Amino acid sequence: MRRTAVLVAVIVTALLLQTAVFPQLTLLHVKPELLYLVTVIFAVLLGPGEGAVVGFVSGLAQDFMLNMPKGITALTLTLLGYTVGLARQYITSPSPLLPAVLVALGTAGGVAFHQVVTFLLGEEEGPFSYAAKVILVTAVYGAVLTPIFFPVLRRAAAATQAGRVVRF
Amino acid sequence: MLVVTLVAASLAIITVDYRAGEQGPLAAAGRATSSALAPLQQAVSNVVQPVSNFFSSLAKLPSLSRRNKELQQQVDDLKTAQQENQDLSRRIDSLEQLLGLQAITSHTIAARVIASGVSNFEWSITIDRGTDDGIQVDMPVVTGASDGPRLVGRVIRVTPISSVVQLIIDRDFAVAGKLSTSQEAGLVMGRGEEDLRMGHLRPGIQVSPTDPESVFTLGYEVNGQRGLYPPGILIGTVSRAFSEPDSVESSVTIRPAVDFSTLQYVLVIARNPARPGEVP
Repeated sequence: MRRTAVLVAVIVTALLLQTAVFPQLTLLHVKPELLYLVTVIFAVLLGPGEGAVVGFVSGLAQDFMLNMPKGITALTLTLLGYTVGLARQYITSPSPLLPAVLVALGTAGGVAFHQVVTFLLGEEEGPFSYAAKVILVTAVYGAVLTPIFFPVLRRAAAATQAGRVVRF
Repeated sequence: MLVVTLVAASLAIITVDYRAGEQGPLAAAGRATSSALAPLQQAVSNVVQPVSNFFSSLAKLPSLSRRNKELQQQVDDLKTAQQENQDLSRRIDSLEQLLGLQAITSHTIAARVIASGVSNFEWSITIDRGTDDGIQVDMPVVTGASDGPRLVGRVIRVTPISSVVQLIIDRDFAVAGKLSTSQEAGLVMGRGEEDLRMGHLRPGIQVSPTDPESVFTLGYEVNGQRGLYPPGILIGTVSRAFSEPDSVESSVTIRPAVDFSTLQYVLVIARNPARPGEVP
Protein backbone atom coordinates (compact mmCIF):
# COMPACT_ATOMS: atom_id res chain seq x y z
CA MET A 1 0.00 0.00 0.00
CA ARG A 2 2.76 2.38 1.01
CA ARG A 3 4.77 1.37 -2.05
CA THR A 4 1.82 2.13 -4.36
CA ALA A 5 1.16 5.48 -2.69
CA VAL A 6 4.80 6.56 -3.01
CA LEU A 7 4.96 5.45 -6.63
CA VAL A 8 1.74 7.30 -7.51
CA ALA A 9 2.97 10.44 -5.73
CA VAL A 10 6.28 10.36 -7.61
CA ILE A 11 4.64 9.82 -11.00
CA VAL A 12 1.93 12.46 -10.49
CA THR A 13 4.54 14.98 -9.33
CA ALA A 14 6.71 14.23 -12.36
CA LEU A 15 3.71 14.65 -14.69
CA LEU A 16 2.76 17.96 -13.06
CA LEU A 17 6.30 19.27 -13.32
CA GLN A 18 6.53 18.10 -16.91
CA THR A 19 3.25 19.76 -18.01
CA ALA A 20 2.96 22.84 -15.79
CA VAL A 21 6.48 23.89 -14.81
CA PHE A 22 9.07 22.73 -17.33
CA PRO A 23 7.25 24.14 -20.39
CA GLN A 24 8.47 27.50 -18.97
CA LEU A 25 12.00 26.12 -18.49
CA THR A 26 12.82 24.60 -21.83
CA LEU A 27 16.33 24.05 -23.11
CA LEU A 28 16.48 24.99 -26.82
CA HIS A 29 12.65 24.71 -26.83
CA VAL A 30 12.82 21.13 -25.55
CA LYS A 31 11.29 19.93 -22.27
CA PRO A 32 13.06 17.33 -20.14
CA GLU A 33 11.70 13.78 -20.02
CA LEU A 34 11.10 13.52 -16.29
CA LEU A 35 9.41 10.11 -16.38
CA TYR A 36 12.43 8.67 -18.18
CA LEU A 37 14.58 10.17 -15.42
CA VAL A 38 12.35 8.66 -12.70
CA THR A 39 12.46 5.25 -14.36
CA VAL A 40 16.24 5.23 -14.77
CA ILE A 41 16.91 6.33 -11.18
CA PHE A 42 14.49 3.77 -9.72
CA ALA A 43 16.10 1.08 -11.88
CA VAL A 44 19.57 2.14 -10.71
CA LEU A 45 18.49 2.02 -7.06
CA LEU A 46 16.15 -0.97 -7.01
CA GLY A 47 17.22 -3.24 -9.86
CA PRO A 48 15.71 -4.51 -13.11
CA GLY A 49 12.40 -5.89 -11.75
CA GLU A 50 11.39 -2.74 -9.90
CA GLY A 51 12.77 -0.65 -12.76
CA ALA A 52 10.49 -2.43 -15.21
CA VAL A 53 7.43 -1.99 -12.97
CA VAL A 54 8.10 1.71 -12.38
CA GLY A 55 8.76 2.14 -16.10
CA PHE A 56 5.52 0.42 -17.06
CA VAL A 57 3.38 2.51 -14.68
CA SER A 58 5.15 5.76 -15.57
CA GLY A 59 4.88 5.05 -19.27
CA LEU A 60 1.21 4.21 -19.03
CA ALA A 61 0.56 7.44 -17.11
CA GLN A 62 2.34 9.44 -19.81
CA ASP A 63 0.51 7.54 -22.56
CA PHE A 64 -2.82 8.56 -21.07
CA MET A 65 -1.84 12.21 -21.54
CA LEU A 66 -0.85 11.78 -25.19
CA ASN A 67 -2.86 12.04 -28.38
CA MET A 68 -1.27 8.93 -29.88
CA PRO A 69 -1.72 5.15 -29.52
CA LYS A 70 -1.41 4.25 -25.88
CA GLY A 71 1.11 1.70 -24.72
CA ILE A 72 4.15 2.87 -26.69
CA THR A 73 5.66 4.82 -23.79
CA ALA A 74 4.75 1.99 -21.38
CA LEU A 75 6.64 -0.45 -23.61
CA THR A 76 9.60 1.93 -23.92
CA LEU A 77 9.94 2.63 -20.22
CA THR A 78 9.43 -1.01 -19.21
CA LEU A 79 12.36 -2.03 -21.39
CA LEU A 80 14.36 1.00 -20.29
CA GLY A 81 13.84 0.27 -16.58
CA TYR A 82 14.73 -3.38 -17.02
CA THR A 83 17.79 -2.68 -19.18
CA VAL A 84 19.22 0.02 -16.90
CA GLY A 85 18.57 -2.09 -13.79
CA LEU A 86 20.32 -5.04 -15.41
CA ALA A 87 23.25 -2.94 -16.62
CA ARG A 88 23.67 -1.38 -13.18
CA GLN A 89 24.41 -4.82 -11.70
CA TYR A 90 27.49 -5.10 -13.89
CA ILE A 91 28.81 -1.56 -13.35
CA THR A 92 31.18 -1.25 -10.42
CA SER A 93 32.19 2.37 -10.88
CA PRO A 94 32.00 4.37 -7.63
CA SER A 95 31.73 7.64 -9.55
CA PRO A 96 29.06 10.01 -8.21
CA LEU A 97 28.41 10.99 -11.81
CA LEU A 98 27.21 7.49 -12.67
CA PRO A 99 23.45 8.20 -12.17
CA ALA A 100 23.67 11.31 -14.39
CA VAL A 101 25.49 9.36 -17.10
CA LEU A 102 22.95 6.54 -16.92
CA VAL A 103 20.05 9.03 -17.08
CA ALA A 104 21.60 10.70 -20.14
CA LEU A 105 22.23 7.41 -21.94
CA GLY A 106 18.89 5.92 -20.85
CA THR A 107 16.91 8.98 -21.92
CA ALA A 108 18.64 9.15 -25.29
CA GLY A 109 18.12 5.43 -25.92
CA GLY A 110 14.54 5.52 -24.65
CA VAL A 111 13.45 8.52 -26.72
CA ALA A 112 15.14 7.02 -29.80
CA PHE A 113 13.39 3.67 -29.23
CA HIS A 114 10.06 5.46 -28.74
CA GLN A 115 10.53 7.28 -32.04
CA VAL A 116 11.39 4.07 -33.88
CA VAL A 117 8.29 2.27 -32.54
CA THR A 118 6.14 5.30 -33.34
CA PHE A 119 7.52 5.36 -36.87
CA LEU A 120 6.94 1.61 -37.33
CA LEU A 121 3.33 2.08 -36.23
CA GLY A 122 2.85 4.72 -38.93
CA GLU A 123 2.63 7.63 -36.51
CA GLU A 124 5.38 9.72 -38.07
CA GLU A 125 6.24 12.71 -35.91
CA GLY A 126 8.45 14.92 -38.00
CA PRO A 127 11.87 15.09 -39.57
CA PHE A 128 14.86 13.12 -38.35
CA SER A 129 16.74 16.32 -37.51
CA TYR A 130 14.11 17.35 -34.95
CA ALA A 131 14.06 13.88 -33.39
CA ALA A 132 17.87 13.93 -33.16
CA LYS A 133 17.76 17.34 -31.48
CA VAL A 134 15.17 16.16 -28.93
CA ILE A 135 17.18 13.00 -28.19
CA LEU A 136 20.34 15.00 -27.59
CA VAL A 137 18.79 17.82 -25.57
CA THR A 138 16.62 15.60 -23.36
CA ALA A 139 19.69 13.49 -22.59
CA VAL A 140 21.72 16.54 -21.56
CA TYR A 141 18.78 18.07 -19.68
CA GLY A 142 18.16 14.80 -17.83
CA ALA A 143 21.81 14.61 -16.79
CA VAL A 144 21.71 18.22 -15.54
CA LEU A 145 18.55 17.58 -13.52
CA THR A 146 19.77 14.30 -12.00
CA PRO A 147 21.74 15.86 -9.11
CA ILE A 148 18.60 17.80 -8.16
CA PHE A 149 16.14 14.91 -8.35
CA PHE A 150 18.38 12.02 -7.29
CA PRO A 151 18.31 12.66 -3.50
CA VAL A 152 14.52 13.03 -3.51
CA LEU A 153 14.00 9.92 -5.61
CA ARG A 154 16.45 7.94 -3.47
CA ARG A 155 14.29 8.69 -0.43
CA ALA A 156 11.16 7.77 -2.38
CA ALA A 157 12.76 4.53 -3.51
CA ALA A 158 13.75 3.72 0.06
CA ALA A 159 10.18 4.37 1.17
CA THR A 160 8.88 1.80 -1.31
CA GLN A 161 11.10 -0.88 0.21
CA ALA A 162 9.56 -1.58 3.61
CA GLY A 163 12.13 -3.08 5.95
CA ARG A 164 14.93 -2.75 3.43
CA VAL A 165 17.65 -0.16 3.40
CA VAL A 166 18.82 1.27 0.13
CA ARG A 167 22.39 2.47 -0.06
CA PHE A 168 23.95 3.97 -3.13
CA MET B 1 9.04 -13.40 -16.22
CA LEU B 2 7.78 -10.08 -14.83
CA VAL B 3 9.32 -8.03 -17.61
CA VAL B 4 7.88 -10.39 -20.24
CA THR B 5 4.42 -9.93 -18.71
CA LEU B 6 4.78 -6.13 -18.70
CA VAL B 7 6.02 -6.06 -22.30
CA ALA B 8 3.13 -8.31 -23.33
CA ALA B 9 0.72 -6.03 -21.47
CA SER B 10 2.17 -2.99 -23.28
CA LEU B 11 1.77 -4.68 -26.66
CA ALA B 12 -1.79 -5.68 -25.77
CA ILE B 13 -2.56 -2.07 -24.79
CA ILE B 14 -1.17 -0.77 -28.10
CA THR B 15 -3.29 -3.29 -30.01
CA VAL B 16 -6.49 -2.63 -28.06
CA ASP B 17 -6.08 1.13 -28.36
CA TYR B 18 -5.44 0.88 -32.10
CA ARG B 19 -8.60 -1.18 -32.61
CA ALA B 20 -10.91 0.67 -30.21
CA GLY B 21 -9.73 4.26 -30.91
CA GLU B 22 -11.39 7.15 -29.11
CA GLN B 23 -14.38 5.05 -28.04
CA GLY B 24 -12.31 2.40 -26.29
CA PRO B 25 -11.67 1.85 -22.58
CA LEU B 26 -8.11 3.17 -22.79
CA ALA B 27 -9.23 6.48 -24.26
CA ALA B 28 -11.75 6.71 -21.41
CA ALA B 29 -8.95 6.00 -18.93
CA GLY B 30 -6.94 8.76 -20.59
CA ARG B 31 -9.80 11.21 -20.14
CA ALA B 32 -10.15 10.14 -16.50
CA THR B 33 -6.41 10.74 -15.94
CA SER B 34 -6.61 14.18 -17.56
CA SER B 35 -9.65 14.99 -15.46
CA ALA B 36 -7.93 13.94 -12.24
CA LEU B 37 -4.78 15.91 -13.04
CA ALA B 38 -6.51 19.12 -14.18
CA PRO B 39 -7.16 20.60 -10.69
CA LEU B 40 -3.56 19.85 -9.72
CA GLN B 41 -2.25 21.39 -12.95
CA GLN B 42 -4.39 24.45 -12.27
CA ALA B 43 -3.01 24.78 -8.74
CA VAL B 44 0.60 24.41 -9.94
CA SER B 45 -0.04 26.87 -12.77
CA ASN B 46 -1.41 29.42 -10.27
CA VAL B 47 1.89 29.27 -8.41
CA VAL B 48 4.26 29.04 -11.37
CA GLN B 49 2.68 31.58 -13.74
CA PRO B 50 3.39 34.77 -11.71
CA VAL B 51 6.99 33.70 -11.13
CA SER B 52 7.43 32.89 -14.79
CA ASN B 53 5.88 36.22 -15.82
CA PHE B 54 8.24 38.09 -13.48
CA PHE B 55 11.36 36.49 -14.94
CA SER B 56 10.22 36.86 -18.54
CA SER B 57 9.51 40.58 -17.84
CA LEU B 58 13.03 41.00 -16.47
CA ALA B 59 14.48 39.38 -19.57
CA LYS B 60 12.53 41.76 -21.80
CA LEU B 61 13.40 45.01 -19.95
CA PRO B 62 16.20 46.21 -22.30
CA SER B 63 13.96 46.04 -25.35
CA LEU B 64 10.90 47.64 -23.73
CA SER B 65 11.72 51.25 -24.67
CA ARG B 66 12.27 50.42 -28.34
CA ARG B 67 9.18 48.23 -28.33
CA ASN B 68 7.17 51.08 -26.80
CA LYS B 69 8.06 53.40 -29.70
CA GLU B 70 7.19 50.73 -32.24
CA LEU B 71 3.84 50.13 -30.58
CA GLN B 72 3.06 53.87 -30.47
CA GLN B 73 3.67 54.02 -34.21
CA GLN B 74 1.44 50.99 -34.70
CA VAL B 75 -1.32 52.61 -32.63
CA ASP B 76 -1.26 55.68 -34.88
CA ASP B 77 -1.39 53.52 -37.99
CA LEU B 78 -4.18 51.40 -36.56
CA LYS B 79 -6.28 54.46 -35.70
CA THR B 80 -6.20 55.44 -39.35
CA ALA B 81 -6.92 51.88 -40.45
CA GLN B 82 -9.77 51.60 -37.96
CA GLN B 83 -11.47 54.61 -39.47
CA GLU B 84 -11.27 53.05 -42.92
CA ASN B 85 -12.46 49.69 -41.58
CA GLN B 86 -15.52 51.24 -39.98
CA ASP B 87 -16.56 52.68 -43.32
CA LEU B 88 -15.94 49.33 -45.03
CA SER B 89 -17.81 47.46 -42.29
CA ARG B 90 -20.87 49.63 -42.77
CA ARG B 91 -20.78 48.98 -46.50
CA ILE B 92 -20.41 45.20 -45.97
CA ASP B 93 -23.35 45.16 -43.52
CA SER B 94 -25.61 46.86 -45.96
CA LEU B 95 -24.48 44.59 -48.81
CA GLU B 96 -25.04 41.46 -46.69
CA GLN B 97 -28.51 42.64 -45.86
CA LEU B 98 -29.14 43.14 -49.54
CA LEU B 99 -27.90 39.64 -50.36
CA GLY B 100 -29.71 38.04 -47.42
CA LEU B 101 -26.52 36.61 -45.91
CA GLN B 102 -26.52 35.67 -42.26
CA ALA B 103 -23.50 35.88 -40.02
CA ILE B 104 -22.45 32.63 -38.37
CA THR B 105 -23.99 32.61 -34.93
CA SER B 106 -21.39 31.79 -32.33
CA HIS B 107 -20.39 32.68 -28.84
CA THR B 108 -17.08 32.29 -27.09
CA ILE B 109 -16.03 30.72 -23.81
CA ALA B 110 -13.00 32.25 -22.10
CA ALA B 111 -10.51 29.78 -20.65
CA ARG B 112 -7.13 29.84 -18.95
CA VAL B 113 -4.16 27.76 -20.06
CA ILE B 114 -3.17 25.51 -17.16
CA ALA B 115 -0.66 23.14 -18.75
CA SER B 116 1.23 22.19 -21.88
CA GLY B 117 1.57 18.84 -23.63
CA VAL B 118 3.63 16.18 -21.89
CA SER B 119 5.64 15.23 -24.97
CA ASN B 120 8.19 17.05 -27.11
CA PHE B 121 6.53 15.56 -30.19
CA GLU B 122 3.00 16.87 -29.60
CA TRP B 123 2.08 20.54 -29.43
CA SER B 124 -0.96 20.96 -27.20
CA ILE B 125 -2.22 22.89 -24.20
CA THR B 126 -4.72 22.10 -21.45
CA ILE B 127 -7.37 24.69 -20.57
CA ASP B 128 -9.53 24.95 -17.45
CA ARG B 129 -12.91 24.59 -19.16
CA GLY B 130 -14.65 21.35 -20.19
CA THR B 131 -17.98 19.81 -21.03
CA ASP B 132 -19.54 21.40 -17.92
CA ASP B 133 -18.95 24.76 -19.61
CA GLY B 134 -20.31 23.65 -22.98
CA ILE B 135 -17.04 22.77 -24.67
CA GLN B 136 -17.04 19.94 -27.21
CA VAL B 137 -14.43 18.19 -29.32
CA ASP B 138 -13.48 20.01 -32.54
CA MET B 139 -14.41 23.49 -31.35
CA PRO B 140 -11.98 26.13 -32.65
CA VAL B 141 -9.82 27.97 -30.12
CA VAL B 142 -8.59 31.53 -30.67
CA THR B 143 -6.85 34.30 -28.79
CA GLY B 144 -6.88 38.10 -29.04
CA ALA B 145 -9.96 40.30 -29.21
CA SER B 146 -13.15 38.66 -30.40
CA ASP B 147 -13.30 41.14 -33.31
CA GLY B 148 -9.72 40.29 -34.38
CA PRO B 149 -9.17 36.69 -33.38
CA ARG B 150 -6.00 34.71 -34.03
CA LEU B 151 -6.17 30.94 -34.43
CA VAL B 152 -4.71 28.85 -31.60
CA GLY B 153 -6.01 25.37 -32.49
CA ARG B 154 -8.94 23.06 -31.87
CA VAL B 155 -10.26 21.03 -28.98
CA ILE B 156 -9.28 17.37 -29.31
CA ARG B 157 -10.20 15.94 -25.89
CA VAL B 158 -12.65 17.06 -23.23
CA THR B 159 -13.32 16.14 -19.64
CA PRO B 160 -16.00 17.76 -17.47
CA ILE B 161 -13.52 20.30 -16.09
CA SER B 162 -10.73 20.61 -18.65
CA SER B 163 -9.96 20.30 -22.35
CA VAL B 164 -6.90 19.53 -24.43
CA VAL B 165 -6.32 21.85 -27.38
CA GLN B 166 -4.21 20.77 -30.33
CA LEU B 167 -2.15 23.80 -31.43
CA ILE B 168 -1.95 24.83 -35.07
CA ILE B 169 1.78 24.06 -35.04
CA ASP B 170 1.16 20.37 -34.21
CA ARG B 171 2.18 18.08 -37.05
CA ASP B 172 -1.30 16.53 -37.19
CA PHE B 173 -3.07 19.87 -37.53
CA ALA B 174 -4.56 21.08 -40.81
CA VAL B 175 -6.91 23.95 -41.67
CA ALA B 176 -8.17 25.49 -44.92
CA GLY B 177 -6.64 28.96 -45.32
CA LYS B 178 -6.86 31.93 -47.64
CA LEU B 179 -4.26 34.56 -48.56
CA SER B 180 -5.45 38.07 -47.73
CA THR B 181 -4.68 39.93 -50.97
CA SER B 182 -4.61 37.30 -53.71
CA GLN B 183 -7.53 35.41 -52.09
CA GLU B 184 -5.88 32.10 -53.03
CA ALA B 185 -6.97 29.15 -50.93
CA GLY B 186 -4.82 26.27 -49.72
CA LEU B 187 -4.28 23.78 -46.94
CA VAL B 188 -2.31 25.06 -43.94
CA MET B 189 -0.47 22.37 -41.98
CA GLY B 190 1.48 22.43 -38.72
CA ARG B 191 5.19 21.53 -38.70
CA GLY B 192 6.17 21.65 -35.06
CA GLU B 193 8.96 24.13 -34.36
CA GLU B 194 9.12 25.26 -37.97
CA ASP B 195 6.74 27.75 -39.60
CA LEU B 196 3.41 26.41 -40.84
CA ARG B 197 3.19 25.37 -44.46
CA MET B 198 0.40 26.22 -46.90
CA GLY B 199 0.29 24.12 -50.03
CA HIS B 200 -1.82 23.72 -53.19
CA LEU B 201 -1.19 27.28 -54.43
CA ARG B 202 -0.68 28.36 -58.04
CA PRO B 203 2.93 28.24 -59.31
CA GLY B 204 5.11 31.36 -59.20
CA ILE B 205 3.50 32.99 -56.21
CA GLN B 206 5.53 35.94 -54.85
CA VAL B 207 6.00 37.24 -51.31
CA SER B 208 6.65 40.89 -50.52
CA PRO B 209 9.38 41.19 -47.87
CA THR B 210 8.13 44.63 -46.77
CA ASP B 211 4.42 43.93 -46.64
CA PRO B 212 3.90 40.21 -46.00
CA GLU B 213 0.49 38.78 -46.77
CA SER B 214 -1.72 37.58 -43.97
CA VAL B 215 -3.42 34.19 -43.99
CA PHE B 216 -6.94 33.73 -42.64
CA THR B 217 -9.15 30.70 -42.11
CA LEU B 218 -11.37 29.90 -45.04
CA GLY B 219 -14.97 29.28 -44.11
CA TYR B 220 -16.66 26.85 -46.45
CA GLU B 221 -19.67 24.62 -46.80
CA VAL B 222 -19.86 21.33 -48.69
CA ASN B 223 -23.21 19.60 -49.21
CA GLY B 224 -24.69 21.52 -46.31
CA GLN B 225 -21.83 20.64 -44.00
CA ARG B 226 -19.89 23.58 -42.70
CA GLY B 227 -16.15 23.59 -41.96
CA LEU B 228 -14.99 23.61 -38.35
CA TYR B 229 -13.44 27.05 -38.48
CA PRO B 230 -15.37 30.27 -39.05
CA PRO B 231 -13.92 32.42 -41.84
CA GLY B 232 -11.62 35.35 -41.15
CA ILE B 233 -9.58 34.09 -38.19
CA LEU B 234 -5.95 35.19 -38.58
CA ILE B 235 -3.58 32.23 -38.86
CA GLY B 236 -0.33 34.11 -39.48
CA THR B 237 1.76 35.98 -42.04
CA VAL B 238 3.57 34.55 -45.04
CA SER B 239 7.32 34.30 -44.46
CA ARG B 240 8.54 32.54 -47.61
CA ALA B 241 7.24 31.23 -50.93
CA PHE B 242 8.76 28.26 -52.73
CA SER B 243 8.07 25.50 -55.24
CA GLU B 244 9.24 21.92 -55.06
CA PRO B 245 11.22 20.79 -58.14
CA ASP B 246 8.94 19.31 -60.82
CA SER B 247 5.87 20.46 -58.92
CA VAL B 248 2.92 22.16 -60.57
CA GLU B 249 2.01 24.05 -57.44
CA SER B 250 3.62 26.46 -55.00
CA SER B 251 3.76 26.52 -51.25
CA VAL B 252 4.34 29.22 -48.68
CA THR B 253 5.54 29.08 -45.10
CA ILE B 254 3.53 31.00 -42.52
CA ARG B 255 4.72 32.48 -39.24
CA PRO B 256 1.90 31.90 -36.70
CA ALA B 257 0.17 35.02 -35.37
CA VAL B 258 0.17 33.58 -31.86
CA ASP B 259 3.18 33.37 -29.55
CA PHE B 260 2.45 29.99 -27.98
CA SER B 261 5.19 30.29 -25.37
CA THR B 262 3.38 33.15 -23.61
CA LEU B 263 -0.21 32.06 -24.16
CA GLN B 264 -2.25 32.40 -20.97
CA TYR B 265 -5.89 32.96 -21.98
CA VAL B 266 -7.88 31.69 -24.95
CA LEU B 267 -11.41 31.82 -26.31
CA VAL B 268 -13.21 28.66 -27.39
CA ILE B 269 -15.67 29.34 -30.20
CA ALA B 270 -18.88 27.47 -29.44
CA ARG B 271 -20.69 27.52 -32.72
CA ASN B 272 -24.38 27.07 -33.25
CA PRO B 273 -25.00 23.38 -32.42
CA ALA B 274 -28.05 23.17 -34.67
CA ARG B 275 -26.00 21.84 -37.58
CA PRO B 276 -24.47 18.46 -36.78
CA GLY B 277 -21.99 16.54 -38.92
CA GLU B 278 -19.51 19.32 -39.47
CA VAL B 279 -16.33 18.47 -41.32
CA PRO B 280 -12.87 19.99 -40.90
